[in-house]
Amino acid sequence: MIGTGPVAAVIRKDLTAIRRSKAVVIPMVAIPLLLLVALPIGIGLAARAQRHTDVSGFLGRLPGSVAEPIVSLPPDEQLVVLVSGYLLAPLFLIVPLMVAAVLAADAFAGEKERRTIETLLHLPIPDRQLFYAKVLGAFLPALVVSWLGFALFAVVTNAVAWPVMHRIFVPTRLWGVVILWVAPAVAALGMGVMVRVSARAKTAQEANQLGGAVILPLLFLAVGQSTGLLLVTMPVAFGIGAAVWAIAGILIVRGAERFTRDRILSG
Amino acid sequence: MGAVIETVDLSRAFGPQQALDGLAIDVQEGEIVALLGPNGAGKTTTVRLLNGVLDPDRGRATVLGLDPARDGTELRRRTGVLTEAAGLDDRLTARENLVLIAGIRGLSGRDASRRAGELLERLGMAGEADRSVQGFSTGQRKRVSLALALLHDPEVLFLDEPTSGLDPTASRQVIELIAALARERRRTVVVCTHFLDAADRLCQRMAVLDRGRLHAFGTTEELAATLWSGLSVELDLGGPADPTTLALVAGSRGVLDFERVPTGVLVRVEGRGAVPSLVGALVGREVAVYGVVPRAASLEDVYFALQERRLGDEGTGRSPGPPRSPGDRVAADGGHA
Repeated sequence: MIGTGPVAAVIRKDLTAIRRSKAVVIPMVAIPLLLLVALPIGIGLAARAQRHTDVSGFLGRLPGSVAEPIVSLPPDEQLVVLVSGYLLAPLFLIVPLMVAAVLAADAFAGEKERRTIETLLHLPIPDRQLFYAKVLGAFLPALVVSWLGFALFAVVTNAVAWPVMHRIFVPTRLWGVVILWVAPAVAALGMGVMVRVSARAKTAQEANQLGGAVILPLLFLAVGQSTGLLLVTMPVAFGIGAAVWAIAGILIVRGAERFTRDRILSG
Repeated sequence: MGAVIETVDLSRAFGPQQALDGLAIDVQEGEIVALLGPNGAGKTTTVRLLNGVLDPDRGRATVLGLDPARDGTELRRRTGVLTEAAGLDDRLTARENLVLIAGIRGLSGRDASRRAGELLERLGMAGEADRSVQGFSTGQRKRVSLALALLHDPEVLFLDEPTSGLDPTASRQVIELIAALARERRRTVVVCTHFLDAADRLCQRMAVLDRGRLHAFGTTEELAATLWSGLSVELDLGGPADPTTLALVAGSRGVLDFERVPTGVLVRVEGRGAVPSLVGALVGREVAVYGVVPRAASLEDVYFALQERRLGDEGTGRSPGPPRSPGDRVAADGGHA
């Protein structure tokens, strides 16, 4: 069982240090702003300008059940909804995955690099609790940054599309599932990989390089599949999220079981 | 009370390298013991094993009645460690470093702030408490790190190079603080250091390690007795002894060996009884003797003599066996500890 005291204290220390680090804060703010605000504004404006474009040919190539929600819309709204409501969906999974992976890479390797790891290891917190504290210390900021980003995305997307749509069209219920259930699972998966790599690497850069080999394919997979995710039914979206959570859970629990102070110092 | 720290055959290897091999020492309550030895001797590995952050391959240790390998978390509540790298987070202020670590140690926010303030004041860092550690000198970092080790008033302190990077005044302050903790509060302290003068002033016993093996363990006097027989006295002759005087010294009864020094001659005699006849022989030949001072071996004398003996034992030293007297020191390997 995880005692809340020392775990919470380690997380508090990590979050305080992250807030003070421009090298971490700037990309954590800039990347979501770029992907979830600037990019949707640009693409949304372009789609709005081209709203009379006939997309029925494209939609006709999609399976009927998938294309149906868009085909049923008035012609002017189809391109805007297709672009802003579906094609930008990969961004939902890229942001949590990236932020979690960057912070998790720093979890142990960053401490080694700053030569603070030994101070941490000499504290009275059991190995497993220390591991979980480091995992949560990366996961919570990733979640907060992602959800704030999604909120901004919804605001700017609706604002940009307002002249065409005259109503709020994102988020939908399915988006809710993706944002609240699948995106955190993807963040946990990235973190499960990176925190284990971080425990073995000597510097955060080395952890990023080693972890990148695993994270990049995950990233491509996320990009490739996420549009489709918004076209599936709710139960399928829940199922996909559950599968990702299960894999992330296994990775994290097995990482915790294998984590010892001795391995950190002698590895 | 028995030993606070006791090790039996404590050993640890990293791959093919034997970092510690069969360490057997004991440290009593309120005692300050120095771990001395060159880089790679096994000092840091010893501290890590004693605090349960590494597990031994062989042997065992007991600290405060606990097995560090099994009861590490419980043990670390009662120990404090000053690491060689100081281990402070550069992104935080001195006070934040202390308060956040105090939180992990279970101190409440108010207690943590109060304790951090007290320690920073005591270590002369109150004025820097709210500055980012990033701009700190090595000495300032060391003092904050020492405060970190003392936050929870530990029963056993492991200090890795506590005075390195400190100016003489700060170094003296730190030595006095550590000595007071042991003397007044019966805290047990293990000090790893390269600074032999600091160890000499601070420690009751020393363990000399080299390449993971314990070469000597005891007080300076005990170790000196294993190196040199008899008693050393310095004869103040007002200047270096001339050849005639040295011949008189050599011919005097009970003299084991001698060495010319700037103020006269350093003589090792069989015992106190040999001193009057030595002085009598010199005075009888009208050699002015201004003073006779017994000269106890310093930790530095003993340490370098041990190093030289080790080199001699291995057949790699230039002069086998111990030096002739405590003052007759040979720089062993260029590194002090």
